[in-house]
Amino acid sequence: MFERNKNKQSAPPAQPESARSAPSTTATANPAPGASNNTTKPRSTAMIGPSIEIKGTVTGDEDLVIQGKVEGTVDLGAHEVTVGESGKVNADITARTVRIDGEVSGDIRGIEKVLISKSGNVRGNITAPRMTLEDGAIFKGAIDMDPGEPAAKVSLASKAADSKSEAPELDLKSG
Amino acid sequence: MTEQQGSQLLSGLLQALKEERHLSVLHIGPVQPETVAFFSAFPCRLYFNDLFAELPLSRSDDEDNSLQQRVRELLWYADDVRFDICLFWDIFNYLDEAAVTAVMDVLRPRMVPGGRAHCFSVHNTRSEQRDRKYAIVAEDELRLRPRERRLEGYRPHPQGRLKQLLQGLEVERSVLLADSRLELLLRAPGGPRPGGPRKGG
Repeated sequence: MFERNKNKQSAPPAQPESARSAPSTTATANPAPGASNNTTKPRSTAMIGPSIEIKGTVTGDEDLVIQGKVEGTVDLGAHEVTVGESGKVNADITARTVRIDGEVSGDIRGIEKVLISKSGNVRGNITAPRMTLEDGAIFKGAIDMDPGEPAAKVSLASKAADSKSEAPELDLKSG
Repeated sequence: MTEQQGSQLLSGLLQALKEERHLSVLHIGPVQPETVAFFSAFPCRLYFNDLFAELPLSRSDDEDNSLQQRVRELLWYADDVRFDICLFWDIFNYLDEAAVTAVMDVLRPRMVPGGRAHCFSVHNTRSEQRDRKYAIVAEDELRLRPRERRLEGYRPHPQGRLKQLLQGLEVERSVLLADSRLELLLRAPGGPRPGGPRKGG
């Protein structure tokens, strides 16, 4: 059903956390907050507002925040997709980074990373090389784990010792 | 407040991870960050199916078939899905006999021969209800978080009765814990037995 994710694309500059909750009710593209200081190429973020409902395929060349409803497919392979707390997505999502604060019913493919926050509710399957999940998140489905890196193939004993001190991609934000 | 709980049996459960083949792991409980983080170092597919969110799961007198149907729907997987490891933890303490049987009817044919499972039971059925969310943090350690709400349907089964109900899984090892609780390592029939005789040896 899934193609194992082998893509290792070079990452554009990371977007600050503050850019993830850009409040807007329009579906127009705006410069991402925090991107204005970037001297290379300003990144823009599109917003699907809470009152917007889209049925079909969503593609584009910028980051996207979904606060409304989307049904169909969301494909922004090189960009970041955020499903906001009021967002309801009934679609498969493909993006470089996917952050879920709202509801998603569908399969998620994160080329770099998928994050489900404590307010996130996901029903579907996830494929990503890195997965972060906050306590309080609701998830039903399957997660494909493939460490890929030889260094990740450590013995259980050393893994156990490591996990006591430092959990990989672990966000312990109790909900 | 979270608690740490040591485990003597998890290492047996996780033996298959050392084989470095792609495994399927089923967790019948709420997804927890530590569990995702722990398994992220191994090539595997993690299935999360939180039956605690569906409680109470029990048979009412006039709806004999509805429970089985409901459990089949809740535990629906593609035909080719088979599980090497099942993490039940304390779900059986919240299911009546009919519900345990229904769960096992669904999962029995999906266990890989020799596959392992792990659960907590009780030594004394008057053992106090302790509603916790379980997460694995290491080969020998679990993290337990209290639940926000009291769970419905707490009805732990006597050890012998639970063993009968878990058709398709045999108890490989059990350890008595504090508060009259039991930790059980379960094993599906078939497959190589741990410590068994080796050919030519």
